[in-house]
Amino acid sequence: MANSALAGQGGTMQETHPAARRAALSRAAIYLVLIVGAAAAIVPFLYTVSVSLMNLTEATGGRALPATPQWTNYVEAWRDAQFSQYFMNSVKITLISVGGALVFCALAAYAFAQMEFPGKSFLFTLLLSTLMLPEAITWVPNFITVSWLGRISPVPWINNWPALTIPFMASAFGIFLLRQFFLQIPQELWDSAQIDGSGHLRYLITVVLPLSSAAVMTLVLFGFVGAWNALAWPILVTTTADWRPISYGLLVFLDEAGALLHLQMAGAIITMLPIVVLYFFTQRHFIDGIATTGLKG
Amino acid sequence: MGRASILVDESGMVHYNVGGKFCVDAVPLKSWGNSLQVDSTVSQTTAIRSDLRQQIRATPGWFRSRQGRRLREMVLAYSFLAPAFAIIGLFGLFPLAFAAYESTLRGLNKIVGSYDGLGNYVKAVDNFIYILAFWMAAGLVYYAGATVTRALLERREEQTNPLPWLLPGALTAVGVALFTRFVYILLPEMLLIPSKLRGQSNTQAAFRGLVMETWWLPKVQIALWLAIVVLAVGAGWALFVNRGVPPDRRERIYFVPFFSAGISLIGGAALTWLTWTEINGAYAEALEQGEGLALWSQIVTISAGFLLLLLAWRLWNSGGDRPTNTGIAMRLFGAVALMAGGWVLIGELPRVISAGDEDWWNGLMATVFYVLGTVPIQLGLALILAALLFQKIRGQTFFRVLYFLPYVAPFVGTAAVFRIIFSNRPTAPLNSMLDLFGSEPLLWLSEPAGIFQMMAGSKLDLGPILSGPSLALVAIMIYGIWTYVGFDTVIFLAGLGAIPNELYEVADIDGAGGWAQFRHVTLPLLSPTIYFLSLYAVIGTFKAFNHIFVLRQAAALGTTDTASIVIFQAFKRDTRYGYASALAILLLIIILAITLINNRIASRRVFYG
Repeated sequence: MANSALAGQGGTMQETHPAARRAALSRAAIYLVLIVGAAAAIVPFLYTVSVSLMNLTEATGGRALPATPQWTNYVEAWRDAQFSQYFMNSVKITLISVGGALVFCALAAYAFAQMEFPGKSFLFTLLLSTLMLPEAITWVPNFITVSWLGRISPVPWINNWPALTIPFMASAFGIFLLRQFFLQIPQELWDSAQIDGSGHLRYLITVVLPLSSAAVMTLVLFGFVGAWNALAWPILVTTTADWRPISYGLLVFLDEAGALLHLQMAGAIITMLPIVVLYFFTQRHFIDGIATTGLKG
Repeated sequence: MGRASILVDESGMVHYNVGGKFCVDAVPLKSWGNSLQVDSTVSQTTAIRSDLRQQIRATPGWFRSRQGRRLREMVLAYSFLAPAFAIIGLFGLFPLAFAAYESTLRGLNKIVGSYDGLGNYVKAVDNFIYILAFWMAAGLVYYAGATVTRALLERREEQTNPLPWLLPGALTAVGVALFTRFVYILLPEMLLIPSKLRGQSNTQAAFRGLVMETWWLPKVQIALWLAIVVLAVGAGWALFVNRGVPPDRRERIYFVPFFSAGISLIGGAALTWLTWTEINGAYAEALEQGEGLALWSQIVTISAGFLLLLLAWRLWNSGGDRPTNTGIAMRLFGAVALMAGGWVLIGELPRVISAGDEDWWNGLMATVFYVLGTVPIQLGLALILAALLFQKIRGQTFFRVLYFLPYVAPFVGTAAVFRIIFSNRPTAPLNSMLDLFGSEPLLWLSEPAGIFQMMAGSKLDLGPILSGPSLALVAIMIYGIWTYVGFDTVIFLAGLGAIPNELYEVADIDGAGGWAQFRHVTLPLLSPTIYFLSLYAVIGTFKAFNHIFVLRQAAALGTTDTASIVIFQAFKRDTRYGYASALAILLLIIILAITLINNRIASRRVFYG
């Protein structure tokens, strides 16, 4: 925009030269700002990698780079922090909660997008209003509810998978996201599905869901990140390491490792790596999903 | 459309996202159902299908079968919604009622305490809670009145007929209130079960037996069925009225306005009653102990102060639209009202809230500092980056991916990194950089002193507010900015992409330069995005927990604890369940108030193209 405006002013031959130079200069300035911004975003990560490969004296001595990379730090951190167990816990929690969320949110979103029933707009408003509630208001009641449900159901809830997964199996965000995609599916498809004798459920499974794979992918990614980041609720409902998810595990390890900065950073890298790798492979889904809904899970 | 306050709040966020598609029930009723069986060898062109549809319409007796299909679709839709709503209801909506109940109880840990009225709130914010409760009750009643008036005005102007909806809406509201009453009858009984089991064998079977016993208590059952019957009658009546509305006037359904008006009236009445009894109780107690109590005069003074501020705001705004002299006079009166109101509030408020919980006030102050320190910087940086990226830049995707990385990376991991960067060791990254410039090392995350106080030196004592956020909190703010700039940039880029290119072409022809284009085209058209992001960031700060919990150090003496952290500590560390619930309810009220005020401002300033 700015450049075309500048180029437009340079009418005659003599003036083109300084105008072009100014354009090139402004272009260079733009790149400079962008690169500084990118450096600010990336340097803490590079620093983490560097410290995680140092030995203890280098880490506490304020060096910028390790003399020889100590790859064994990762092995040590992995072993000391019981990361294998936390990893498995988080993977299990993610699979159960995202799987449930996919089924329940898809059903509800389909009803909101494609079906007619009394009270539709009212229920949808009610649903969206739950987005307003701060998480803090649910801590006390849900903790009591969950410990209470554990006493009447066959499996305990606290320190077990139900407390960590069932409350997250349906969310206003998930329903809203899927509904937005379902609404874009042309009505003609439903008409022809009906002529083929298909009911709502079959239409949802065979036509709507495959067409909305991008939305489903976004929902899965957000569910994954959400489960990986969860901290407050796991602190409340887990007292042992049996079902403790990775974020809480890392927090415990940070306190245990104390002054062993290199191990702390190795642990941080181990925790971040799966999400960062996943992000680099699916970044378009991530960014587009957030840009279209403006919300995160 | 019903404009329930929460709906408006949400729509502030959602409207921008979906471009007005939100919550519209405008899909015309399908005149043919879903169970139609037709030989699929029929060529499926639209023409034939619409022909088919007309044939079906013409079939005698189609009305009855259409009703049947509508009913079937309704049942199917509700069963699709049931699991999601069961979970969201139990873990998302029920907690609201539960927290409200819990907040009126004394007691530590899981042992259920005795009823304490507004006691927990008084502990948190002192007598200010009485003023707050009265004003909320008044606001609810005002909202109910305004909603009904608007419906009646529309009736005159647009020839609609809202009146048949009045009774079903009000009846459903009563039903919901009765259901809430049922919850409040059931909850205390259920919460008593663990203490009933004391001394007995504490088995699961015994527990379940007691649960069933409680459920079948006559008063519980009566409350439940009363609620169900009233709800069913209200909903059934609404359905009946709905059937009478011709399909082309579907947008004129007044169920939600009357329903929400009914709910707010009942809520307002309940709140007034609670406050009234609580105030009388406080007076009786003060009389017993021979102390004087000035609750009523406090309520009147503070309310007068707020009313003056409101008047000032009103006068100042409407003064701008009037001809010069009247306008100036009105603005002058507005300024006088502002000063008078401010004077009253500054004089009186500290006395009303002085006995509140210091941790809570400090938490709110830290949150406000956090908002003021992060939101403008974060949005400004993101806007610059987005505007630059939006120029045809090589490697746009590359930059975007990098900027977004801090937001995506797990919070606990990145916070752990910043814990080391902002460490107080002399050899920590930032302190060694300070060393290069010859400065003394700082304590960073362990520094409880306010930054302005640190700049002013020890000779000058600035007091708690003027000394600003502690250096520890500033370090956390920097982390917050680092995390969220990328997120804001991505949203800004989406907003920039939605601005039509022709506008820039026209501006080019008019000879507008780069800055003028940005100022007069980009900024106004981006204002919904800016509004959305700032609201999101402000509310997000009040909810923020994870990274602050990881970054907080004991040495910072709680100066970094924002609202959510204070609540978490009251619950987890002190096990004061009732008090933590009361704080959470106060937090919700703050968030609702911010959203409402934000919406009022936005409706003036934000330009929805």
